Amino acid sequence: MQLKNVIESPCALRFMLDGLDLQSGFARRWLLDTEMMTCEAEIEASYDVLRQFVDFVRSIEPSFLNTLLFRLQGVKDIRTTVKNLRQQSTLDDIELFEVKHLAILSTEVAKLLKNHNLDSAVEIQSLDEVITILDPDGMKIASFYIYDSYCEQLKDLRIAMRKNPDKQDELLLEAAEIEEEVRIDLTKKLHSHVDDIERALIALAKVDIGVAKARQVVDQELCFPTISNDGSSCYKALFHPQVKDALNRAGRHYQPVDISFADSPTLITGANMGGKTVVLKTLTLCQLLFQFGFGIPASEASIAIKDEIYFCIGDEQSIEKGLSSFAAEMKNIDAVIQASRQNRRLLALIDEPARTTNPTEGTALVQALLKVLSTKHMSLVMTTHYDIEPGTAHCLRVKGFDNGSMNYSLVEVAGGEVPHEALTIAQSLGIDSEWIDLARKELDESKQQTSTI
Amino acid sequence: MLAVPFINDILNYDSLSIVGLQKNTGKTECLKYVLARLPLERKRVAVTSIGIDGETTDQVTRTQKPEIVLREGMYFGTSEAHYRQRRLVSELIDVSDESTSLGRVVTAKALTQGKILLSGPSSTSGLQRWMRDTRRHGIDLAIVDGALSRLSLASPAVSQSMILATGAAYSINMSQLVQRTAFVVDLINIGMTSEGNIALLSPLESGMWWIDTDGQLHEMEGATSLSQQVEFHGMDRCATLYVAGALVDSFLEKLRKNKQLRQVELVVRDFTKIFVTPQQLRLFEKAGGRIKVLQKSKLIAVTVNPTSPSGYVLDSEAVCDKISQAINLPVYDLLKSTDC
Repeated sequence: MQLKNVIESPCALRFMLDGLDLQSGFARRWLLDTEMMTCEAEIEASYDVLRQFVDFVRSIEPSFLNTLLFRLQGVKDIRTTVKNLRQQSTLDDIELFEVKHLAILSTEVAKLLKNHNLDSAVEIQSLDEVITILDPDGMKIASFYIYDSYCEQLKDLRIAMRKNPDKQDELLLEAAEIEEEVRIDLTKKLHSHVDDIERALIALAKVDIGVAKARQVVDQELCFPTISNDGSSCYKALFHPQVKDALNRAGRHYQPVDISFADSPTLITGANMGGKTVVLKTLTLCQLLFQFGFGIPASEASIAIKDEIYFCIGDEQSIEKGLSSFAAEMKNIDAVIQASRQNRRLLALIDEPARTTNPTEGTALVQALLKVLSTKHMSLVMTTHYDIEPGTAHCLRVKGFDNGSMNYSLVEVAGGEVPHEALTIAQSLGIDSEWIDLARKELDESKQQTSTI
Repeated sequence: MLAVPFINDILNYDSLSIVGLQKNTGKTECLKYVLARLPLERKRVAVTSIGIDGETTDQVTRTQKPEIVLREGMYFGTSEAHYRQRRLVSELIDVSDESTSLGRVVTAKALTQGKILLSGPSSTSGLQRWMRDTRRHGIDLAIVDGALSRLSLASPAVSQSMILATGAAYSINMSQLVQRTAFVVDLINIGMTSEGNIALLSPLESGMWWIDTDGQLHEMEGATSLSQQVEFHGMDRCATLYVAGALVDSFLEKLRKNKQLRQVELVVRDFTKIFVTPQQLRLFEKAGGRIKVLQKSKLIAVTVNPTSPSGYVLDSEAVCDKISQAINLPVYDLLKSTDC
């Protein structure tokens, strides 16, 4: 699975990617094409590199950073040219220019990184020989034409052109043949460096991505996760960057939460507006950020690697497929059950399943779902408003209304008993009292009936 | 000095566009004239073209479209396709991300004199980026061969200075030619709005917007100036009205008939966005309306080609005099005054 396949996930991964200050379109494309990591050594290595970039970003002068960013802006996607070179189809002047431009750029960036001991984080190939081939006069400027010094005869023809502008067209034709021979020769010489050229191009994208991720870590106060080996994950002071950003803009404070879950079901209950959906969104986001090597929005995190990540948020209708919100949700959860039968490391985050149907059947569906998934070896975090029997599930509850304001922290509770705070919360929202008072009366009456029976 | 009209004026600016009111009004002759006379030993010059150029044959009149002759040392911006067809020796200095139907825009330096077909950036922002990039490469003067038509997406008004080419191809009736040319000159000379408005409005590329008396920006939802439905509701505190797209007669008329709003400052991006008739503009201004622009070029001179494509020839001297009187600027028939 590539990053571009999950960018539109409702966990708002796009917000994190849009916030990356990448310097070239090529680096962005390269990043979107990266595969999700599922191998411990690979994730470990990627965070080692990111750590070095963070140290680098924290320690350098802003003017130096600007120099580096300016260089990285010059990186162009020349993969087509590289492909042509690999196939030994003769490069034209524009393609030769692109290769030379890349060679000079990567040499400059390599020098900048070496001065800051970052050359071990991203190895940039030395392209000195490529530069020598394309810069016969040793000008060290990223411009290109078929230089006079490639061929004595070419030089003479051009001198003749300047002397006899009348004969220019004729002389240009003659020169064109020689120029083509030079291009064939240059292509041949460059061909033996094609791997280095390609590696240099990718290395420049990696530097761009590394610096951007590191700046995001510093700016948004993200943390480096440790890799958990027992299938469980644990977060301290977890926050959703987009929600936090929106609240801060409105002059309000975001309350981070602590949460941990194991390789078994976790049930979250709690009042409406208690941030349950945000918790699921954030957990999904963190899992993806972790397996694509980004900083994690928490003060501490220990995360287990998963092969597949499912985020089922109930309110997605699929108009194109003609599915109602209920049908779309059932299909999504069905995919989780099918996946749970494979021998894969699985994380499923399911937000209020069966919420759009009647509470009797809804409760039965959720209860059964929990039972089915409890028998599987997987991480499941599920929220619900229904009264269900938790069985072996680990139960968390949003603390809820506390001294007149919402306390978003999660507390461990023994059973799955759901809080009855909907009316209190509706009241605090200033909802029409005729409606709410009547609802309270209805509730009292039904309670009395139950107790009479 | 008369032998080389307005060349010295050009040197006061870092960009110039040469704009023709119509095909065959001598825009290319004007460009040739300028390129042949600029002192390259003092100024690094780059030239490009915008609009629907690109074929060697003029689409409208089927006349041969000339390649531009560059002098040694000049820089130029053209598409990849035309770069490959160049008839000169040149050194590539930049390959941009700007793409046109003929490939990306490349910038190069002519190492010998020779001919090139120019086809540069096709959007206004692309043109601005190209001009900025040339400055980074040490260019002192960027020249844009500009098209003035609804078909062109790139506006030449981003250049600091401008030369306007008019002529018998625009109208073979002398007084009509004078009037119509003078009208365009009036549009080119429309003043700029305030610095604050420019900062606020420049990033807005479409739609209609208004600024209230407290300097707050509001969007008029769903409105385009072309639509008949535009309504001015809830705009009591409007101080500035901005039309990002084309300004047309029907909108101006509606605005004029709104007693409250016709006094506010109406802002358009630049003069190329104004597609109103002289009559409608006069009525608007008479009713107290004011138009301002975000971008404006200093008009240096007007050139005249007295010969129409059909072969009809106006009296060169009389045309130059009459237009000059009407617009209060020097007017030249370059073919006559320079034998170029």
